Amino acid sequence: MASRPATASGVQRPNGATQNKLCQFKLVLLGESAVGKSSLVLRFVKGQFHEYQESTIGAAFLTQTVMLDDTTVKFEIWDTAGQERYHSLAPMYYRGAQAAIVVYDITNQETFARAKTWVKELQRQASPSIVIALAGNKSDLSAKRMVDHDEAYAYADENGLLFMETSAKTAMNVTDIFLAIAKKLPKAEQAGGPGPAQGRRVGLEQDTPRATQNCCIYTT
Amino acid sequence: MIFNIVDREINSAQFGVTFFTSSQRHDTCGTNGLPLTPNSIRILGRSQYLKSLNHPNLSQYVDIIRGKHERIIVVLEFYTQNLKTLLKTFKGKEQHELILEIGSQVLNGLKFLNKHGIVCRNLCLENLLLDGSGETKIFNFGLYYMTNNGKFVSFPIGNPKYTAPEVFLSGVRKGPSVYSCDVWSLGIILVELVIGEEIWSELKLSQVLRKVASLTHCEGSVFQRLLQEHHYPHIYTELNPKLRDLIERCLDINPVTRGSPSLLLKDLFNKSTKASDTVCINPFAYPEVSVLNNIILSSQLQASVPANLFNHSDTETPVDQKAKASVDHLLKRSFKEIYYLWQLAGGDVFAELRRQGLTRKKPAVLSLPCSMTLEGESAGKISDIKHLHLPDVITQAAQLPLIIREKDIEYQFHRILLFDRLIKGYPYTKSLIHRESLKDIPPYFRAQIWSCLLEISGDPKSIYNSIDKETPTSTDRQIEVDIPRCHQYDELLSSPIGHEKFKRVLKAWVVSNTEYVYWQGLDSLCAPFLYLNFNNEELAFSCLSAFIPKYLYNFFLKDNSVIIQEYLAKFSQLIAFHDPQLTNHLDSIGFIPELYAIPWFLTMFSHVFPLHKIFHLWDKLLLGDSSFSLCIGLAILYQLRESLLCSGFNECILLFSDMPEISIERCVKDSVDIYCSTPRSTLCRKHEPPPKQRKEVHRKISTDSDFSSNSLPNETRNSTSDGLKMEAIPLADLKKEKCPRISGEDFLALLDLNKTRFNKPKMVVVDVRNYEDYNRGAIPTSINMPYVSSFSADGSLIPTTEVNILNSNRGKIIAVVGNRGDSAVKFAEALLFLEFPRICVLHRGIDIFRSGNILVVPSSMNNL
Repeated sequence: MASRPATASGVQRPNGATQNKLCQFKLVLLGESAVGKSSLVLRFVKGQFHEYQESTIGAAFLTQTVMLDDTTVKFEIWDTAGQERYHSLAPMYYRGAQAAIVVYDITNQETFARAKTWVKELQRQASPSIVIALAGNKSDLSAKRMVDHDEAYAYADENGLLFMETSAKTAMNVTDIFLAIAKKLPKAEQAGGPGPAQGRRVGLEQDTPRATQNCCIYTT
Repeated sequence: MIFNIVDREINSAQFGVTFFTSSQRHDTCGTNGLPLTPNSIRILGRSQYLKSLNHPNLSQYVDIIRGKHERIIVVLEFYTQNLKTLLKTFKGKEQHELILEIGSQVLNGLKFLNKHGIVCRNLCLENLLLDGSGETKIFNFGLYYMTNNGKFVSFPIGNPKYTAPEVFLSGVRKGPSVYSCDVWSLGIILVELVIGEEIWSELKLSQVLRKVASLTHCEGSVFQRLLQEHHYPHIYTELNPKLRDLIERCLDINPVTRGSPSLLLKDLFNKSTKASDTVCINPFAYPEVSVLNNIILSSQLQASVPANLFNHSDTETPVDQKAKASVDHLLKRSFKEIYYLWQLAGGDVFAELRRQGLTRKKPAVLSLPCSMTLEGESAGKISDIKHLHLPDVITQAAQLPLIIREKDIEYQFHRILLFDRLIKGYPYTKSLIHRESLKDIPPYFRAQIWSCLLEISGDPKSIYNSIDKETPTSTDRQIEVDIPRCHQYDELLSSPIGHEKFKRVLKAWVVSNTEYVYWQGLDSLCAPFLYLNFNNEELAFSCLSAFIPKYLYNFFLKDNSVIIQEYLAKFSQLIAFHDPQLTNHLDSIGFIPELYAIPWFLTMFSHVFPLHKIFHLWDKLLLGDSSFSLCIGLAILYQLRESLLCSGFNECILLFSDMPEISIERCVKDSVDIYCSTPRSTLCRKHEPPPKQRKEVHRKISTDSDFSSNSLPNETRNSTSDGLKMEAIPLADLKKEKCPRISGEDFLALLDLNKTRFNKPKMVVVDVRNYEDYNRGAIPTSINMPYVSSFSADGSLIPTTEVNILNSNRGKIIAVVGNRGDSAVKFAEALLFLEFPRICVLHRGIDIFRSGNILVVPSSMNNL
């Protein structure tokens, strides 16, 4: 396991003087299959890239911790299956998520259309305060570009999305997009959050979209 | 390059090996952003087809291996005698009949190749071998084909001297050559045979090329001109007219009028070619025509082959066998089998090439002796000659771990002989094949055995051919993006040919199963079948089509959520039944199977494990029914149990996102144990395959299964009513109940009232009704623990004598029996919380026994 971030550095300083926030965010990746969702996560979490990354069935889960100023941000990432048929499973993963990355492939116009429908669904179904980022992946293949950068940018702008073109292969903008999300997420000081297990539970039975969980647990 | 692999042991049973390197390009990307497939992989994929070609006039392809640095090694049938070595002996008029016969044989071989869409483009004297029994065999005929008409290699294919002029005129690298170009080459060869010497032997390459080109301007007969050039003009008139005709036709400058091999055969020999397709009753019979009848064993092998390996010949007495068995039988095996055994015995093509000095791998300095005495004796350079060595003592191989058995040459030899006969007898040997497969499945015959176990019948080829695999459909994009990500570490599956086959099989499945749809994961499911039947797409398709209804019934419906949810609910209950501690822990952290087990079951673990592990897993799965995979799932959890128990939610899910190494042998063993110790009815599902398909699968997966409703004593079965059978439980109930329900049938079998099956009781029956109801009539040996009064407020059991009985019987099955209400379910759950294993609830409660004569008054009971 690349990241075992349960206790982030700084949290348990012996002198106890440093005030360090530990924030946990649930993030979900959505998008048409083979646009590179799993590759983005793999690049972000392990710094690796596999040419023949296996397809994801159901969903995969990974975590990664980043430092943002004085805050330790831990992402709990749900990487979902892209095939339309697995759509019915998706709510199970985006329910209660504080952030989502909707991914498309810049060399394929249809994947961009699919990304737009995902954004619509999130805006309708997911938690109202969810932070959504749009990622145009495979930017290393810009010679075969089919989705115009400015068009995607304009779309993201209209819908209040973060937007970056990324490349899991060259690592371009991969960490950046996660960091941009982390910056945008509310790190409000809300004490008395839910038990650690509850916050990250995922279940088929939960029907109502969960309101944004207060996500920060103060540790001193 | 050619050498003998096994000539130490089997004289003249030789395998030729040719090798070449192909050009490679680095760090370039295809249109899809993926790296380009290396040419060696492309060749590997294409060349598999050659292995399926069998013809008396063709060398049998046995293996194609990919080495380092884009090297390809081809293993094929080889004989040391060829037309070049014997060229001088053909001189003279009396040999003309023989030359004609050779010509006709070569044409037959070529015709067969053409029928399969292959142009040889590589005919020359050296490539026409003589097997000693009168057959001419075309050697290395697939080079042009496997390199995609020479595109994958940097060198030109074919000796220029024999190459037809039109090939040069149209450009050597342009397009595929037509069939008639081989006819030209044959013509040149026949000329050389007739004159008994090679033509243009003194000329340089550039001169030869000029000569060939100049023939296009030849006014009269090319044949006559060649004879004149080599000072044999008289032969033309002396020649057998038929042979002269043949050569004239072959050396026709115009490729169109020259004709194809089959046309020449028809015109000149006027005979139909030899039958090449064998007719077999079982649809996946493997054509193995190459039988070595001219080879003898060395004394070493004779002495060491245990006689009982050959006792499959039925008529002879054992004594006779001992005397002559060795000579007859090993040699009747096909080239492929012998090659397989040779490899098992430690044969290594790479080592062989190095030993023969054909490839050099280690630096020269390393081949020096390690030490040398002043007298000149050297030490430290160990000879590494490997023999096809059969030990004198028959080992108890069957008892060894599977991995070792698979490498044990003697054991495998025995298994191959056995299964060879069983497969030939299919479908009449179905049950024997099943029984033998319980022991193990020899890898050599895995494809065929799996087909038998999946009961493939009919004519897969015509079914497959009748399916439209070309018309674009809406699933194409999904299939196309999934295939290049599916088991791509494997060379065959990652080759372009592999991708094409993959796509066709998947499309055929989608088209022919209109009630189902393509789900991601179907690709993984297809991979093992395609790998095993690479040259037999229709069989891969048939296996996939038979596998899915048997093991994944309705899993590929457009809306499969009910099926998957039921399956996963059953899985949760199975975990609870066998491992309450794990269940309680996973429940407490909210770690439900929906989060990790969907890819397991949807692909029967083919998305989770690499191919070599899937093979061993499915070897067993194919002997069981659709609930066996639940047991495999639990067996996997067992191996991760310690980590799971001490982990929270995140750590648990991370564990599965990056699956740790699972010992497949242990997994198989554990899952069989689980399967055998689980009453069948507790695994029942509403969405199981319909009974007509299940009848056949209700076979034992292990020889020591305790639980099988088939083994119910007859008298009980007769008295049973339908109430004793397991019924479909609504999904909502299933998801609520943590412990599985057991059917009346299984319950009675385990209760074993007549004590006919078990020495010791296997089950404790807990009656949770109130005291009064219990005393009016209860199941013999049952104990009464009313639900309302058995537990204290904190959930623990209030101590009673019954609790002591329960505690002292921990590990046995606990069947909780109640009334119509849900008290039994609640009681079972409370016991589960206290970590009692193997709890189940009697389906429909005590009522099912009201009509029978089973219930007794407890006061008369002398229990436990």
